[in-house]
Formats: sequence, C-alpha cells, structure tokens
Amino acid sequence: MLVASIACVHVEKRKQSIGSAKKRRVERQHLLFLALIAPNFLLLGAFTYWPMIYQGYLSLTRWNMLAPQKTFVGFDNYTNLFSGSEFWGVLFKTFYFMGAVVLGSVVLGLAIAILLNQRLRGRNFVRSVVFAPVILSGAAVGLVWAYIFDPNYGLMRTFLEPFGVSSPDWLGSTQYAMPALIIVYLWKSLGLSVVIYLAGLQNISKDLYEAARIDGANKWVLFRHITLPQLSPVTFFVVLTTFINSFQAFDIIAVMTGGGPVNATTTLIWYIYQEAFIAFRAGTAAAAAIVMFLLLLVITVFQVRYAQRGVHYK
Amino acid sequence: MNRRISRRNFLVVSGGTLVSLAAFGCGGAGGVQQPEGEAPEEAQGRTRVVFWTAFAEKNGEAMQKLVDDFNASQEDIFIENQFQGTYEETAQKLATSLAAQQVPDMAVLSEVTWNRFFLDDSLEPLTSYFEGGDPDPEDYVESLIGEGTREGEIWWVPFARSTPLFYYNRDMFSAAGLPDRGPETWDELREWGQDLIRLDGNPKVHAFTTAAKYNAWYFHGNVWQWGGNYSDEDFNALIDEAPAIEAGEFARRLIHEDELAYMASDDQALDFANGLAATTMESTGGLGGITDSAQFEVGTAMLPEQREFGCPTGGAGVAILAAAPDDRKQAAFEFIKFAARPENVAFWSTTTGYMPVTKSAQESSEMQSYFQENPNFKVAVDQLPKTQPQDTARTLIPNGDNTIGTGLERIFVSNEPAETVFGEVAQQLETDAQEVKEQAAGRV
Repeated sequence: MLVASIACVHVEKRKQSIGSAKKRRVERQHLLFLALIAPNFLLLGAFTYWPMIYQGYLSLTRWNMLAPQKTFVGFDNYTNLFSGSEFWGVLFKTFYFMGAVVLGSVVLGLAIAILLNQRLRGRNFVRSVVFAPVILSGAAVGLVWAYIFDPNYGLMRTFLEPFGVSSPDWLGSTQYAMPALIIVYLWKSLGLSVVIYLAGLQNISKDLYEAARIDGANKWVLFRHITLPQLSPVTFFVVLTTFINSFQAFDIIAVMTGGGPVNATTTLIWYIYQEAFIAFRAGTAAAAAIVMFLLLLVITVFQVRYAQRGVHYK
Repeated sequence: MNRRISRRNFLVVSGGTLVSLAAFGCGGAGGVQQPEGEAPEEAQGRTRVVFWTAFAEKNGEAMQKLVDDFNASQEDIFIENQFQGTYEETAQKLATSLAAQQVPDMAVLSEVTWNRFFLDDSLEPLTSYFEGGDPDPEDYVESLIGEGTREGEIWWVPFARSTPLFYYNRDMFSAAGLPDRGPETWDELREWGQDLIRLDGNPKVHAFTTAAKYNAWYFHGNVWQWGGNYSDEDFNALIDEAPAIEAGEFARRLIHEDELAYMASDDQALDFANGLAATTMESTGGLGGITDSAQFEVGTAMLPEQREFGCPTGGAGVAILAAAPDDRKQAAFEFIKFAARPENVAFWSTTTGYMPVTKSAQESSEMQSYFQENPNFKVAVDQLPKTQPQDTARTLIPNGDNTIGTGLERIFVSNEPAETVFGEVAQQLETDAQEVKEQAAGRV
C-alpha cells in the first residue's frame, strides 16, 4: 500500500499545474506525509514511547498497583535504591552474569566457529546441532537443565557418580546457582555467536593467510595476527549483542531459581519483576527499570559511536 | 501496478485504519471488561462467569471437575475455569487485570493475597448474598469464615483451606525402630535423627523448604511453638525477639551442625515422596499427591510442639470482584453456593486434602467414612480446631512472606546466625509496614 501511494503521489505531482496550486500542493503533501507516518507513529507511541514516559513518571511515585492514587515522592525511589546495599548487590550480580556470558560467548563462540570452519565430515550437521538451542524456548530449556542439575535425580549425578564425585546442589547453593545459570544461558545462546563468527571467518580473504604462510608464519601467528584482528568488528558485534541480550535474560531465572537461593541470582531484571509483581512496589520497580534503561542506553551510545569510528584492521 | 489509487481512496483507507487502531487502543472505553476465553457451544446464551483459579495437577483436575459439574447442573450460567498459576501468579495477574480494566468475575486468592485486594476495595462484600440462607454462613467452620470476615462483611469465602501437616515415612520409622507417630517435640525429632540417617540411602531427617514454597508459612508454626511471634496486631515486628531467634537457631543447628536436615531446593514434598527425607512439613493440600506418588507408607501427624502447640491456617478462599456487573456477581455466587453443598465440599476435600470447610460436610456420612479409611487425613481435620490465623507480618505487611522467607533461606542455606538475620528481617518488615499501616488501621 505504501509503494502504491508513493507512486500515486508521484503521478499526481506531475499532473499539477505549475504555480497557482503550489501552496495548496505543499499543504496536501504535508497532510499526506502525516497520514503515511501516522499508523507507525501511533503504534510506536502507544506501545513504546508512552510506556516509557509513564514508567519515568511511575518511578517518581509510590504506588502499590491497586490503589487509585499514586503518591508523588520525587526522587526518593532512586535515593533509596542507591543508598541501600541490596541494589548494589543486584547490579553486581547482573554484571557478573553478563560478564561471564559475554566472555563465554566470545571465547567459546570463536573456538567452535574455527572448529566448524574446517573441512570436517558432518560439519553441516554439527553446525545445526550447535545452533538448535537458540531457537528453543527459554522456559523449556530451564526445565530440562533444572532436571540435569538436580543433585538427587539429575543427569549430572548419573555422570559424576562413577567417578565417586557427588553432584553439587547447583540450584540450591548460593555459590553454584549463578554459574549454573551462566552455563545454561551460554548453552542456549552460544549458537548465535558461532554463526556470526563463522560468517566473519568466511569473509577473511584467503590471500592474507597465503601471503603470511609464504613469509613463514605458523598457525598461532596466523590466528593472532590475521584471524583475530580481521574479526574485531565481528567480536565487537558479538560482545554488544550478547551484552544487551543477557541483560534481559528472564525466562531461565524464572524457571530455574526464581532469583534465589537467598537472592543469589537476583539480577536487575528479576529484581524489577520482584519489586513490581511480588512486592507490588511499582515505584521502586519503575526506578530500577529506568536505571536499566539508562545502562542500556550508555551501551548503545557507545556502540554507535565506536562502530562509526570503525573497529577495523588497517 | 497499473491500477491507480486516488488520493481520496488512499485517505479513506488510511483514515479507516486509524479509526480502527484507535478503537483497538481504547477498547475498554466502556469500562471494565471480562477476560477473553473459550466457551464451548453449550455455553451460548448463558451468563458467562470467568473464574481465575490456582490449582495444578491433581488438584487442578478436581477444580475442573467441580466447575464442570456446576455447569452441568443448570442451564443459565457457564463458569469458565481459567488456571492462572500459583497463588502469587494469580494475584499478580489480578493486579494487572485491575489496572488494565479487564477483570475476572471471581478468583481464588490465598490467605495472604486476598488482604491486599480487600484493602484496595477490589472485592465485593458478600454478606447480602448469604441472606437467603443458602449457604448458611454459620455452616462454615467458624475460624475459617471468620478470617474472611471484616467490618461485619464476608469478603473471602473458605474454599481450599489448609494447614501445615507433619509427614513422616512410616517404613523408615519402623526400620529405625522408632514409634509409629510424629515426634512430640522438635527435640525428640533431633534425638530420633541419629537412628534415621543411618538407614539405607542415608536419608536426611527433615526437609525444610524455600521462600518460593512458602517456608515462612511452615516456619510460622515453629516460631509459635517456641512461644514467639512474627509480629503483633499493630504491625510491630517480633521476629527479632528471643523465642523466634531460638526457633531459627534450632533449625540452623539441625541443618549445619547436626547435619540432620536440609533445605530442599525444589520441592520438599517431592523429596519426601522420593525417600530423600524421613519427615517434612507440607500443606494438607499436598496429601493426595504425596500418597499417590510415595512408594512407602505415608504417616501424618500434628506439628511437633516445643513449648506449646502452634499451627497456622492457610490456603485459599474464593472472592468475587467488585468490578464485575451485578448479574455476573450473582451468577458467580451461585458457584459458591454449589461448592458449599456437603457432597461437593466432601468431593473437593477428599480429592485434594484441603480441609472440609463446612460443618455439614464434616458430619456427612461420606466424610465420616472417608475419615475411617484415611486416618492420615483425619489427623489434619483433628488439628484444624487447634490452628490459628497468621501474624500480620506475613498476611498484611507488603512482601512480608518473601522478606521472612528469604531470611529463612539465609539460615537454611548460608548458615547465618538467626539473630543477625531476624534482626534485619524485623527492620525490613517495620519499614514495609509503614506502607500499609494507615490503610489497614481499623479495617483488619
């Protein structure tokens, strides 16, 4: 419909007589422009911008989500968040989770991609297998892994038992719960960075390797001085997307740990959920959500500016 | 594309799109709406009542059966049973549905969650509905209907009410040479522990549970048994006083020093039914499920005493939402009537393990013969008159259940001293109590 109407504008435009109707025409074009963008704008406004603005307003109030009145409290919610130790702990756990996931995605993603870039038998099959978990539902993945990790009935126990090692109570211990989530999240999302790295690897010109080999470079030198630098824009992309995606990892936390035990896996997004829907403190939740929004904004701005300058090997 | 589209046509089409978008956006302009659903054909022409429930698995099937029986019993009303998850999830969805003005007509609310909807005037006062004498409010077990009565009005009708119950593995007890009964005190359980952990499979003696599985509810009994309280009626926290701390320290020692107990990270009832723990506390509502899945003889007992007896009531009741139109409220109440008939109370209670909430049902021959055949269940019903409503810290202070529950996890999992933990929990409770104090003053 959009294409048709642009064509239609074009035809109309040619038909217009020059001069007399010019002003009217400009007005009409403005109207048409508005009509064209209105549907998109309305949808974006209703479902993206308005909730954001409303969220900002909520973060300045105290509201239990049921009472007809919201009490305006200024920046109290923010000062409360940052003056207590709880929220800092939540931020720490969030970055712990994200940091480990990003690191794992880059290192393992690259390693697997290099492996799958070789001419191996059954390569395509393995590629599909590596990518498959990406398309699975997070809730289902969480349930399966909760079973695997279970110290009493789980698969992990079956594997460890012959070695005389008892499986730790992964999800029941404050120490292991977060690593368990990281393992699951990595397992589920790794396929994506593998695919991106694979594409990156295939874009590197073979000439570079050939020239280096003639100069007597060994495999490590090839990797260190050609593959890695050539892949730096890809790495940059993987780091940022993993960062942003893992920030929002909710499903596996909901299914596997519920933020526990003892809040050991309460990341920022779980904290927001908990404040809003368990404690019914919409104001605090909104303030935490705004903090999350700002953090993501900083990352995005960083991405845009850095990507413009270019992370390329010259 | 050869067909020309005139500007007028284009504007008509896009204008139409906008209008329909606007209509979509403000669909609720006419006020509160009923959630969508799938009613079968035979429901056509009947008053459709949306009922949000919180029962899964065995209990969920019983819930659906009750609703189906109701729908088959008459031709004017169709109750649509919409399962919403746990009590907490149901309350979350109800809160958002009220904000979005798409509200069910009736909902299952827990002993904790109904309070907030009551305080925010979202529930319908029901006393006038009872005026016809069907059902007779006096037929309900007094303490149970009393909990749902405030300001002289009934707001929350007993339905799936439960209490914690002490479960023990009779096979293990007999293998360990212990008497076939629950321990009289926690100290006695601790003494028995040495005999139990030596059994095949090295079971733990007792499984505690997580905050998400309501450990604050079970532990409420412990705190009372040591002579303490979570809080008083005026929202002052008492959990940081000596008796509660002693109860917490006992649990900490039992887990971390005696190594007789642990916190089941998933579900203590599941661990018990699988023989990982010789005893546990679980709702009476779990009796049906445990008896079905356990490969051993299940025994039940009243909760152990330490210094005195203490056991909280819990579970869920049914409330009608004030936002629903009158005809649907009336129709919803028809279901409450139906559910209160002795045969239906007995069906629900015997299938699930929830308490028979009416006296007429308790006295019915059906229930009496069930007691005969199921002494485990009889224990729960015998315990009922000794139970009491919970302290405000858990039922009314916002997030109180989670605050106490997470504190208990710190003791159960991280081996933190009860004094430190409960001190901090008390502070948090008092801070959070401020939010509700004014609102609840004179109303609860």
